[in-house]
Amino acid sequence: MKQIIDRKATALLFGYNEYSLEIKKSIAFKYDDIELFSLDDNPESNKFDLSDDWNELEERFDMDNSIAFCVLKDDAKNIFLTLSLRSSFKNLKIIAFCKNKEGATKLTLAGADKVIPLVQTTAAMISDMLRKPIVTKVMHGILYEKSDLKIAQICVEKDADFIGKHPFDVNWGEEYGIIVLSIMQDDVDSSFIYSSKAKHKEIKTGDILIVVGYDKDIIEFESLIGSRCEVNWSDWSR
Amino acid sequence: MDILSKGIINISYALDESEKYNNTKKFFYNLLENDSYRLKKYFDGFMITLIFLSVYILIRDVKHDINEFWIGFNNIVISIIFLIEYSLRFWVSSSISKVVIHQNEHNLMLNRKFSIKKLFIHVAKDKLKYVLSIKAIIDLLAIIPFFHQLRLLRVLILFRVFKLFRYAKSFQTFVSVLATKKFEFITLLMFASIIIFVSSVLVYVMEANNPSSPINTLFDAFYWSIVTISTVGYGDVTAVTNEGRIVALLVITSGIAVLAFSTSLVVSAFSEKLDEMKEMKSIDNVSKYKSFYLICGYEGIASEVAKILRSNNFDILVMDEDEGRIKNAIKDGFEALNFDPGEVESYKKLNIDISKQVRAVLALRQSDVENVYTTLTVRSMHQDVYILSLLMDEMHRNKLSIAGANEIIYSKDLVGMIAKEFVGQPVAFEVIHALRSEYSGVDMEEILVTNRISSYIKQVNQLENEKYRVVLLGIWKKEEDKFLFNPPKDTSIDLGDYLVVIGNSLFIREFKRAVQKKIFR
Repeated sequence: MKQIIDRKATALLFGYNEYSLEIKKSIAFKYDDIELFSLDDNPESNKFDLSDDWNELEERFDMDNSIAFCVLKDDAKNIFLTLSLRSSFKNLKIIAFCKNKEGATKLTLAGADKVIPLVQTTAAMISDMLRKPIVTKVMHGILYEKSDLKIAQICVEKDADFIGKHPFDVNWGEEYGIIVLSIMQDDVDSSFIYSSKAKHKEIKTGDILIVVGYDKDIIEFESLIGSRCEVNWSDWSR
Repeated sequence: MDILSKGIINISYALDESEKYNNTKKFFYNLLENDSYRLKKYFDGFMITLIFLSVYILIRDVKHDINEFWIGFNNIVISIIFLIEYSLRFWVSSSISKVVIHQNEHNLMLNRKFSIKKLFIHVAKDKLKYVLSIKAIIDLLAIIPFFHQLRLLRVLILFRVFKLFRYAKSFQTFVSVLATKKFEFITLLMFASIIIFVSSVLVYVMEANNPSSPINTLFDAFYWSIVTISTVGYGDVTAVTNEGRIVALLVITSGIAVLAFSTSLVVSAFSEKLDEMKEMKSIDNVSKYKSFYLICGYEGIASEVAKILRSNNFDILVMDEDEGRIKNAIKDGFEALNFDPGEVESYKKLNIDISKQVRAVLALRQSDVENVYTTLTVRSMHQDVYILSLLMDEMHRNKLSIAGANEIIYSKDLVGMIAKEFVGQPVAFEVIHALRSEYSGVDMEEILVTNRISSYIKQVNQLENEKYRVVLLGIWKKEEDKFLFNPPKDTSIDLGDYLVVIGNSLFIREFKRAVQKKIFR
């Protein structure tokens, strides 16, 4: 099993405000090195401007393995920052926050890997809680709380019974105690096994299964068919 | 106290305590007077039909022979129905028993004797107030055709048309709008009356002795004045002398002024009342909702939530004290009221049963002070209604919680959680995000186990979800308040549990229908 948590990368937080401080707190478990950048003079953060001179940054950090959070309060400046970072660092993971969908579209065009429109995300969360309280509770448990249920990505490496079968035809729950949500294959886009386009997919060695289940069942399943692996998550939902 | 007084008091107390009597009275009150009562529209529809039928028979009777049955139906049956309606309205207009009880208790307190005379005066005052109201007079006139032997009185059937005022709300609105300009209309009427009176007399004096003039009597002069001032000008009666024509010039000029003034009065009355009328319409529409979300505030997040909920076919009412925001909500197509969500009065004006009709109150202003105030106001009136509130500053969480919010959403927390999951469980996050978005075609749904479902489906193996290509992710067990992931086939399914399923949205819909209708059995 590969090590999922990599503590060597650096997290760069652009913007000194309550959001960036909250992010800093939340990601401290993974990044030893978290650097805060501010447009203003601030003793607790590094100062930066929106010029294209990122040499200092490049000298100090391994930008290819780092992650940047663009959390400037002004959407226009945030977009400019994202564009500037992307033009200088092709492999930098950029997560940008903005107020609404309009900003989100621009940030995506500017090259952010993941964009979170705060108003829409909060509104979606509220409406989910109202429309599907149980589903939201379960999903919330998996994502944000210490639940026994986990989602993991497991690569099919060993010769398993289900190779050559369609994913929906396998009784995953009964046989392995897990439920397969999605299958990722090299040649096709990742999709849920329950979607119509996944109907004709056959499982083959090298495919990555996104599974949900109790920790112990996932580990057992993993030992049976292959290993847990990192995938490029930005392939999802883009 | 004499026997009669004692008897009246005893009967009054008995009636006041009688559940059957009170329920019956309440039923008739709702049927006749309560616009939000669901059966009232059927009753109103029935009465309107009777009115039109009655007028149709009257018109038809002028030149055609009408079957005696219909004549009898018109004169007797419809009249009796109207008489019953009149009596019921008379009955529900005030409560005699309450007056008796009030008077008796008042007397007991002051150690006075019960007075039947006083009671009679009090009750008569109450009832007369109803009897002399314009609506009640029209109701009474509509019953008169019952005395069909007085053939002239049959024309009074036309009074039944006036009864439409009762059943059509827009007529009532029209009258109430015009009533706001009562003073101006009276002034106008006085002005017009003086002009008509003076010009009638003047023109009579000028013309009556002229043999070629058609104005021979004061009535002719009066008729001419009205026809002229109204600018109708038939021309059948005209002044022929120069003096008479000068009077005519004055009347015509005044007529234009009267018309212009009255038109501007009506227009200004309506434009002033327009917002109120829209408000009344919104309140009326909302009272018809079986269940809806009450969104307090209409800023960024609130407007997004409203749009998402509407796209899922939920009814929404937006309430905000800011006129600009309410205009935006109306522009976005929502029922919206410019009421302060922090005021008890706002909810009283709504004319709804909050505990039954409101699914949840969403306090979504971007101000903790406003949200706390709204939450507290709603909670002070209703203990059970679900309140979800937005939190802007963590230090106010406790206040919101004490105020009674069931769920608190703190957007900065959300940012932290999102960041944490991105770096910690990126795939889980992306998968769940994709599952939540409606574009993937795949959905996660919860299905409540209703009485119907639980009476036919007892265990997981009876669900037949595989047949519908739907995966049962788990069951939320109501009793244990616990989620059972991937439950074994023999797991029981009980009333109130939730089935959490994943699958193609269409397949889930089919499965849901099948489970509820049990068509696969």
